[in-house]
Amino acid sequence: MLSKLCQRAFKKSIWVYHANSGGCNGCDIEVLNVLTPYYDVERFGIKLVGSPRHADVMLCQGPALRSTAKALERAYQAMPAPKLVFAIGSCACGGGIWYDSYSVIGPVDKVIPVDFYVPGCPPRPEAIVYGVAVALGLVDKKVAPVKLKQLEFPIARYHPEDLECKDDMVVYTKLDRI
Amino acid sequence: MPARNVLNQIKERFEPSILRVDVPSDNRLFLYVTPGVVRDICNHVFRDLDARYVVSIGIDDRPYSGQFTVAHNFGFEREKVLSSILVNLPADDPVIDSISPAVPAANWAEREFRDLLGIEPVGCPSMKRLVLPDGWPEGVHPLRKDFSWDLKPAKFDENKVFAFDDPPEGCVVVPFGPFHPTLDEPAHFRLYVEGEIVRGCEYRGFMVHRGIEKLADTVLTYNEIPMMAERICGICGCVHSVAYAQAVEQAAAIEPPARARFIRTIMLELERLHSHLLWVGLANHILGFDTLFMQSFRMREPIMWLCERITGNRKTYGLCVIGGVRWDITPEIKDDINRILDQLEKEWIAAAKAVQGDRNLQKRTKGVGIADAALVKDLGLIGPIARASGVPQDCRRDFPYAAYDQVDFQVITQAGCDVWSRVLVRVLEVFESIRIIRQCLEKMPAGPIQLQLDDELPPGRIGLSSIEAPRGEAHHFVVTGEENRPRRWRVRAPTYQNLQGIPAMIKDQQLADMTISLGSIDPCFSCTDRLEILDIKSGDVRVYSQQEIVNMTRRV
Repeated sequence: MLSKLCQRAFKKSIWVYHANSGGCNGCDIEVLNVLTPYYDVERFGIKLVGSPRHADVMLCQGPALRSTAKALERAYQAMPAPKLVFAIGSCACGGGIWYDSYSVIGPVDKVIPVDFYVPGCPPRPEAIVYGVAVALGLVDKKVAPVKLKQLEFPIARYHPEDLECKDDMVVYTKLDRI
Repeated sequence: MPARNVLNQIKERFEPSILRVDVPSDNRLFLYVTPGVVRDICNHVFRDLDARYVVSIGIDDRPYSGQFTVAHNFGFEREKVLSSILVNLPADDPVIDSISPAVPAANWAEREFRDLLGIEPVGCPSMKRLVLPDGWPEGVHPLRKDFSWDLKPAKFDENKVFAFDDPPEGCVVVPFGPFHPTLDEPAHFRLYVEGEIVRGCEYRGFMVHRGIEKLADTVLTYNEIPMMAERICGICGCVHSVAYAQAVEQAAAIEPPARARFIRTIMLELERLHSHLLWVGLANHILGFDTLFMQSFRMREPIMWLCERITGNRKTYGLCVIGGVRWDITPEIKDDINRILDQLEKEWIAAAKAVQGDRNLQKRTKGVGIADAALVKDLGLIGPIARASGVPQDCRRDFPYAAYDQVDFQVITQAGCDVWSRVLVRVLEVFESIRIIRQCLEKMPAGPIQLQLDDELPPGRIGLSSIEAPRGEAHHFVVTGEENRPRRWRVRAPTYQNLQGIPAMIKDQQLADMTISLGSIDPCFSCTDRLEILDIKSGDVRVYSQQEIVNMTRRV
């Protein structure tokens, strides 16, 4: 549904703003790479811009850090709606290998809402191009969505409040509830 | 015994103050001295013996010896000796004489151990916060051993603002960053501009401080750290993992097999190739010469594919383990490397010609961002910046590591001291790297690529390792420890020193030249910050607050 919405909301060329909130630079240069001859995203009308005020899409790299969280939030607020946020790389998606360090808040979605995730450390340029293309509805997803359904039969549940001590043994007092 | 000679020279003047001496090899020297003479001895070493300042390290040694330790590292290039001057400080009152008045390059390192360990450098000319976020409570020092790596202090004040100095009279403040089109990474400069001329600046960086050193001495183990070391920086990751492994190997007296040392050399040089090509592209992009930006990225891409073929990943190679490497170079890959290098050399000759003959480029970069040899000495500037100022400084030759003692290469220098010379140095170094890789492939011996290590590494030993990264010398300091992890691991990335030169380089220059002056050091903030944020002003560097950054973002 979101990709259909994207096709309507982002009909024209999308302009991209990239914000590194504290990553190692690896994802940055892969993002730069997709702009250059071998991957050339300009054929899709995608262009990097210098200000969040001109951007439709923000690419976030690196975990959210205490020192940059506020600046990242301001950059997000400066983007005009409709806007999309991509988390590029393991750090932005899940916090990376320093997810619980004292100066790291965690994944970017703890600070700003994230719409799409492109994992990898760093993600290959192809992965970034593919992620953006899927999000914009330019190509179809190659993975079938998995739908989870509630099972119909009730699953027996363990009720610790029904446990009782009897002569060195622990027994259930209401066996029917198990 | 070059280390002995250095020791004797220091002993001539300071014999009574030297408590203990450790000379583990010909090119390493550890001196334990009394706290009172530290400034004099550093001044003597830095000025009279003409050593290069490397870094200062604070160590919380209280659980083991009941004391804090401060180490000042110096490199003696002529003697090829890396030395550490260590001082023990009492646990209840960790105060040390600042060496910054004598050695200006030590300013940041001293402020860093003040922030992170609470060791007070008395007499340091600037005491502003450097590393920790602005809202971080006073008196909480994350690198102390009683601080848990995942503790988020309750008193963190999100609204606290960094107190910038007042701008000089008649100047307008121009914020630069934290998110700026020519910066890949967050860093904030507050420029003081009079008309079009930059009169000074203040830097608040360390926005990429991720607490890496803390994680290493609390959570990870020896062989897990190279993985994280690679992620200090996405561009020169291999440098950090090799430097770390070498520091540990040196501390524990492990000699990796010859083939492993050659493979390390090859990967380091491949990394230098892709980094220099990236830099030439970006610098031209900053200057508006986008054709070359696209071309150099096109030439660079086969190297990325090659690295992927060798190691399985385009950037973070997962190469190093203690005592060797993980990936071998097979005969088929060897052919690939040769083929790609031939192609690159051919194309790069054309690109170098285009760069060298471009008048616009010369007009834009000649006389811009001047850093002369005196500044290089005082602020400890390194790598291509130093070499572009006529200082023939190169760790590959000065402190040979891996297989660099067995290959022949030139140290490229230029005398211009400006951005143009830095462009030339990097352009020409590409050819040297290609030569080094070819020699390595030729001379690489057969044999194992890893050592089987059966014993635990001995605790309490110190290892130093310097590596010539694409941006300059990366220096790692390791104290081995218990539980299969180091007690302390300190990384000094090249940008850490080079960034301190920026205020002097951009002073009294056009505002429009600021971006390329900054670009010319190839800044890598993630390396530098590991932990923090910074600011610059007219020669001295300071740290910034969140509110400031917020305000700046608004104005942008």
